[in-house]
Amino acid sequence: MPQSLADDSFGDLVRLVAQQRDRAAFAALFRQFAPRILQYCRKLGADQGVAEELVQDVMLTVWLKADSYDPAQASVGTWIFTIARNRRIDRLRKESRPVPDMDDPAMTPVSQATPEEAAQLVQGSRRLHGAIGTLAPNQSEVLRRSYFLEQTHEEIAEETDVPLGTVKTRLRLALGHLKRSMKDTA
Amino acid sequence: MTFPHHHPDDQLLIGYASGQERVGKSLLVATHLAYCPDCRRRVAAFEALCGSWFEELPGEAAADLDGLLDRMDGLLVAPPATADKSADAEAPRLFDVAGEPAGRLVPEPLRSWLPEAIDSPVDCGSWTELSPGVWLSAWQRTLAGTNICLLRMAHDAPVPAHRHTADELLLVLRGAFSDEYGHYELGDVAHYVAPTDHHARGASKEDCICLFLLDGDLIFLDGEEERRAG
Repeated sequence: MPQSLADDSFGDLVRLVAQQRDRAAFAALFRQFAPRILQYCRKLGADQGVAEELVQDVMLTVWLKADSYDPAQASVGTWIFTIARNRRIDRLRKESRPVPDMDDPAMTPVSQATPEEAAQLVQGSRRLHGAIGTLAPNQSEVLRRSYFLEQTHEEIAEETDVPLGTVKTRLRLALGHLKRSMKDTA
Repeated sequence: MTFPHHHPDDQLLIGYASGQERVGKSLLVATHLAYCPDCRRRVAAFEALCGSWFEELPGEAAADLDGLLDRMDGLLVAPPATADKSADAEAPRLFDVAGEPAGRLVPEPLRSWLPEAIDSPVDCGSWTELSPGVWLSAWQRTLAGTNICLLRMAHDAPVPAHRHTADELLLVLRGAFSDEYGHYELGDVAHYVAPTDHHARGASKEDCICLFLLDGDLIFLDGEEERRAG
């Protein structure tokens, strides 16, 4: 891949930061992700100054928490997205995002699954990934604008130059496509 | 073990994963996730989808980001990880908050929001009776426009007819309840959109206690209005 590294190479860079405090590895991660964090925060309403502070804040978290990155759970891009998401909610909305506590004794662990439930979990997960992968491009695009960029239906209609009704239809079709991947026990 | 069977819809799960959903409904979704391994995986898949959109954002810098990297130089010191970890290890585990066995505890993140264990007696001042066998908690919050409290239903006690101007959501924390759409047990979520007519009633020997979320106002109908609305 020209100019960008394969995803496991980003994982290697995070490991170098975690284990050796490798500044060159950190700089490579910064060059890849800092522009994207900046764009993300700008698109969600941060002015340039606040967006740059958020870039610094998120990348400093990457430096400090590199040892908590688990390649089995998420790609480096997804991990950094979740950090950027949490920071901009704190900063731009002055809200703290409620999250489950993985060490909470009251948490229902996946290990309590009956064999039938465990099989359903694996199947459901596979079906959902399949459904996400087979979303029509225009349906994926309304999901992206509506949830990732937090645009209203009217904004999406205007920016993509399609009628408002079409935006709503595409969103409904996208959600319907994902819903069909749910296990049928509900 | 039985996992929940009634889940938040994908709009809520994607909104939670992307960060679009506000704090009120996120509190209900996050607490459902503590009960539901299935939705934890679903949220992780939606986070990965958002992660792919994040990676696709244009990589050209709109500003002098190298300068920003240079200015971070002084911040890049080794994290004080060892100090943090030892403090965590010494913190008491919350296995018996208020003497509750872990299985009876309300999971995080909701537990930290509540002032006391949810099973306080109905006459202790923490509950206000709405109708025979149905109570609302004195604990109430309004978070980002969503009104939040606890709803408690004795066995077979019907929640009075009401009308709501926007979404209503229930998450079962204790016992079970039923309505015309189904039977809801621990960790299950019921989601009613604005004009939906629904009649919940307690369906377990012990009182059913739910986290109760409402966008906008709740209007209880008197007998006459109820007949007209029904």
